[in-house]
Amino acid sequence: MRKILIISIFYIISFNSMAQNDSLVNRLKEIVIQADKKLKKYSVGYKVTTLSDSVLVRNTESFTSLLRFNSPLYLREYGSGGTSSASFRGTSSSNTAVIWNGININSINNGQTGFNALTVSLFDAIDIRSGGGSLEYGSGAVGGTIHLNDYLQFTDTKQIKNQFVASLGSFETYRGLYKLKFSNSKLAINSGVSYNRSENNYKFLNTNFKNTNGAYENFGFNISAAYSLTEFSKLKFYSANYLGERFFSGELPNPLMANDKYQDFSHRNLLIYTHKKSRLSHEAKLAFLIQEYRYFEDKASSMFNFGKSKRYLANYDVSYSFPKLKASITSHSEYESAFGKTDQILERNRKQFSQSFIYNQDVNSSVSFDAKIRKDFNSDYDVPFTYALGVKVKPIKNLFFRANGSKNFRVPTYNDLFWPGQGNLDLIPETALQGEFGIGYKNNQFVIDIGIFYINANDKIVWTPVGDPDRSGVWVPINLSEVNNKGLEMSLSFNKTFSERTVKFNINYSYTIATDKTTDKQLIFVPKHLFNSNLGYTYKRFSFFYQQLFTGKVYTTESNSSDFVMPHYFVGNMGMDYRLLSSEKKQLTIGFKVNNVFNKYYEVLARRPMPNRNLNFNINYKF
Amino acid sequence: MKINKLLTKLFILSALFLASCSDDDTPQVPKGDYENGILISGEGSGAGTGSISFISNDLTTTENLIYKKVNSTELGIYLQSIAFDNERAFVVVDNANSVTVVDRYTFEEKSTITTGLNGPRYMAVVGDKGYVTNWGSTSDETDDFIAIVDLNTYDVDGTIAVGNGPERIIENNGKLYVSHKGAFGTNNIISVIDLSDNSVETITVGYKPDEIFVNGKGELVVLCGGNESWTGNETIASIVNINMSTNTEVSSLTFANGEHPSLMVLDNGILYYEVEGKVFSISEDATALSSTSIVESQGYLYGLAVKNDRIYLLDANFKDLSELNIYDLSTKNIIDTKAIALGASKIYFN
Repeated sequence: MRKILIISIFYIISFNSMAQNDSLVNRLKEIVIQADKKLKKYSVGYKVTTLSDSVLVRNTESFTSLLRFNSPLYLREYGSGGTSSASFRGTSSSNTAVIWNGININSINNGQTGFNALTVSLFDAIDIRSGGGSLEYGSGAVGGTIHLNDYLQFTDTKQIKNQFVASLGSFETYRGLYKLKFSNSKLAINSGVSYNRSENNYKFLNTNFKNTNGAYENFGFNISAAYSLTEFSKLKFYSANYLGERFFSGELPNPLMANDKYQDFSHRNLLIYTHKKSRLSHEAKLAFLIQEYRYFEDKASSMFNFGKSKRYLANYDVSYSFPKLKASITSHSEYESAFGKTDQILERNRKQFSQSFIYNQDVNSSVSFDAKIRKDFNSDYDVPFTYALGVKVKPIKNLFFRANGSKNFRVPTYNDLFWPGQGNLDLIPETALQGEFGIGYKNNQFVIDIGIFYINANDKIVWTPVGDPDRSGVWVPINLSEVNNKGLEMSLSFNKTFSERTVKFNINYSYTIATDKTTDKQLIFVPKHLFNSNLGYTYKRFSFFYQQLFTGKVYTTESNSSDFVMPHYFVGNMGMDYRLLSSEKKQLTIGFKVNNVFNKYYEVLARRPMPNRNLNFNINYKF
Repeated sequence: MKINKLLTKLFILSALFLASCSDDDTPQVPKGDYENGILISGEGSGAGTGSISFISNDLTTTENLIYKKVNSTELGIYLQSIAFDNERAFVVVDNANSVTVVDRYTFEEKSTITTGLNGPRYMAVVGDKGYVTNWGSTSDETDDFIAIVDLNTYDVDGTIAVGNGPERIIENNGKLYVSHKGAFGTNNIISVIDLSDNSVETITVGYKPDEIFVNGKGELVVLCGGNESWTGNETIASIVNINMSTNTEVSSLTFANGEHPSLMVLDNGILYYEVEGKVFSISEDATALSSTSIVESQGYLYGLAVKNDRIYLLDANFKDLSELNIYDLSTKNIIDTKAIALGASKIYFN
């Protein structure tokens, strides 16, 4: 009991979850098996926001819109459903790592993840961690990491849980999701399928055009299982598969010109063996990941450009704990062999071995810290040591201070190095040093966290037409700029229940000044202000919610010319749910959501209008 | 009485004066804000829309994004070129598959042609028809065409099939001359289209023919940039002169190995061309290329024009405003520098 209490406190204090409902806290009482335990254990001093499954189910439009309305990230999206990338704190999108059950899944070709090429509603939760200290997921995540997690759960008695979610929306949008969870005391299985399709042919407000080439369709299938081999050891398996086809919408003044199509496939498989006895625990992982995209410039043609990658990963963690010191030391070794090719680049193999050590300790009841060091041995590069330190101090009840600092490297991508006629083999890795200081307050109803951050990045890899004097006019990547990012990230949540009424409210706000040292101007596509909020009100079986987003103006030229900017925009969504059934065994909710409720014209990227007011009806049945 | 006489006299005089004044004024009624100046078109990029900048002839006024200011919409990317008739300007935007028709002096939009074009590049105006070169689908080298635009209805009402990668187009004596730079690949032909029956003949020239002009002797002058070394099949660049009645090569000036000129203009009997950021000039009758440059760009030389006593160089920037550098043609000294359109590529005199 005492142990559970300590663990719970540890979670609550060190992992200031900004979860939008209480499901996380509830879940902690059960034996939850995660593929990735490191995140929570080694995030002392960092801000981690959790989006629970109820938030995921409420924001099924896309991963992009989920993050846009619920996190401090800035998302660039080429029209609704188009290519999309995410960035933290004014860093570039290749500095954002997406971690699936502990494995970094960014593409080796462009170093990023496409946020519209991933179905996230099948996951049980998403954790968003700001800051660069996540060395155990690769040193390149300067901005932060986004974690897609499956939770498996053993139960004393046999349990079968089903969940069915379906929605029908404007522009012929259909979404369906089915999850099945089986568990007993030795075995836990989660599986899920999802299917989404939409014509997505919304009208471009104030024009005669529609989003004529914006349709998409995708299918996802995930399965994961955990088996208790002995009292001390477990075997776990995770598999996520995705198949999608999208058409890329056109832009004004002539959206009719759009004629291209994009397909992507991914298969991700992970096997984990864990053994934990007294002070020593071991974990061995094997992963095999395949990713492929095909880009059809002319959708009617069978010709396409492609990129393919295959990655094999093996890693071994061993951890030893010192109960008296309330400390543990972990060694994390990882070997990766990645094969990447595109229609332009012949297959290349990059091998990497990394070794990291992590030490964490609860010095006393109010001070805890973790320290990490990592060294990579890369077949293409020499990557020096990287390190990170996070500290958390809780001097009095409810109040905490947190601080962290790290050094990161990001190695050039395959495209940076090998793109024919343009790649640059002389590139060196980007380096970033950063620090953050935060203060927070938490009680049963109210959580606030305010952090100030500073990032100094050197040798940023930038593509420019004047990069190589011998190849004037040819866009080449070079190690160019020194960039300083500083700013503030704030999140606040409030949750209060008065008899039959519950009010929930939360806010994310970030202020970012990211300047290029040579020009002293704000970096392009970095908004100074980003704000989103969610307000929920529940009365008996009814609940109502409202989401508001504000994205500040961004400059699109280095000189910050006022001629070339993306103006700020506000968007509001609202919705209502009614619980038809709410017994322990069966819960049935029906609801509707109105996106862009004020029917505002807005663009995330120039000449690509985002959807006007649109509706969806949904049903969520758990049995 | 005297006063009366004086008044009458004054009246008559002033009437005469006013009459003569208004007579003089008729041709000088301003046609729009963008008359008597230089238009610079910028291709645009991910950093911003294709756009047009205006600079008054006396260089005192510079105005960027004139189309957006007048019409509150953007032209899109990549703004390839502009063609003109007496009243109108036709703005060709290749990725948008559009030709936007505006009043050339006010820049008010009259129409935007959005159908019948596929990768449009350049346009020639002949009477009430416009002829637009089109690359067609990028995955098909055999669907390239010239779109025929009715300039009264702004509809594409016909096409002429041509070889791969049609680029510049000019009209001379009832014939269209089209250089085939080869789109994303390469090509080495000039198409000659007889407008009486739209029949097409081809002339083989060096690889990557781009700029074409008719010189003082009535010959067609073609700048062939040659295949660059990265193509794996490098060829020599040349300036080729073609007899326009026999469609055969008359003479050719060849560049050194590895040199790939990309800009050429003809003004007053003198050819100006660019090699590696340097501008050279030779007489149109010259039998050899020049070895000494007249001016040198400080940036990425992407556009070139010569008029009267000035030479204009565009240092293009695709991430920001570009630079226009104006030089005195006789002294070669820089007169002025202007910050203009993003991805600036073409210069026109309005």
